[in-house]
Amino acid sequence: MAESRFVYVTYIRTSPAKLWEALTNTEFMKAYFFGFTFDTQWRQGSSWRMLSPEGVLFDGGEIVAFDPPSRLELSWRHEEDAQAKAEGFGRCVFEVAPAGEASKLTVTHTMPVAESRTISMISEGWPQILSNLKSLVETGRIAV
Amino acid sequence: MKPAEEINEETIMAESRYAYVTYIRSTPQAVWDALVSAEAMRTYFFGLPFEADLRPGGAWRRLFPDGSLMTEGELLEVDPASRLVMSWRNAEPEKHAEGFSRCAFDLAPAGGTATRLTVTQSIGIANSRLIAAVEAAWPQVVANLKSYLETGTVALTVPAP
Repeated sequence: MAESRFVYVTYIRTSPAKLWEALTNTEFMKAYFFGFTFDTQWRQGSSWRMLSPEGVLFDGGEIVAFDPPSRLELSWRHEEDAQAKAEGFGRCVFEVAPAGEASKLTVTHTMPVAESRTISMISEGWPQILSNLKSLVETGRIAV
Repeated sequence: MKPAEEINEETIMAESRYAYVTYIRSTPQAVWDALVSAEAMRTYFFGLPFEADLRPGGAWRRLFPDGSLMTEGELLEVDPASRLVMSWRNAEPEKHAEGFSRCAFDLAPAGGTATRLTVTQSIGIANSRLIAAVEAAWPQVVANLKSYLETGTVALTVPAP
C-alpha cells in the first residue's frame, strides 16, 4: 500500500505527565511551535486547527485518540500549500513512555500516498519543533 | 532471467540508511568538541570508552565497559565544526559480517542561536542489522548530547530498552 512516513524519537528529561502537558497545552505549544496556535477542545472527537501567528490556517483535522499521558492521535491535513492539501488526511501519533528518569517521545506522521509532499514538509518541521520542545521542557528556553 | 537494467537497479537500491536531525542551542564548535571528546562521551554516550586518532585516515574505536570492542573504523573526513565522516563496523558477529557502514555528522549554524546536527549512517546492503541497531541508539545518544550541551547533564544515564 502506498504510504509515506516520518518517524522521530527523542528522550526528554521529564515525566510522562509533564511531557503530555507540554504536548497538549496551547499556550506552552506556542513557545516551541514557532508561535503557532493549536486551536482545539482537547477531547477525543474534537476538531483541531493550527494557525500561524498571522492567523493563516496551516493544518487541521480531528483528535482521534486522547489518552493521557501516553497517546495522542490526530487526523491531519495540511491546508496552506495546495499540493499538500490535495493529498488529503493522514495521521500523526504522539506516543509517550517512561524511560528511566526521562520520557521517550515518538512522533509518527503518515500519509496514504507515495512520495507525499506533506511528509516532505513536516520532515523539515518536526526536528525543529521537537528540538525546541525538548529544550523548553529541560531548560525553559527553546533552541532555534 | 531478469533484464540487465532491472538487476542493476536492484544493486543500486541495496542500501540501508538512517538519518536523524536535531537542533542544539550551542555553537557548531561546541557541538564538534563534544562529538570528538572521549571525556564528554563519558557523560552523553553511556560512559563507553572512545579512542580516535583525529585526522583523515586515523583509526577510531568504541569499547564496552569491560574493555571489549564494540565498534571501530577509520576517520574519512575531519572538518572541524562542520563535518565528520567515519567508516564504522560493529564487532558483534552478525553485524561484523555486514562489513563497514559509513557515518557522517554534519553541523551547520541555525537561526543564530543553535546548531543543526544531522547524523546519517548507511551501509550497502538491504535490511541491515547494524542500521536497525543504530536507528534505536542514535535518538538516545543525540538526545543525551543535546541535554549535555544545553544543561550539563543527560536524559538517559543507561541505554533505554
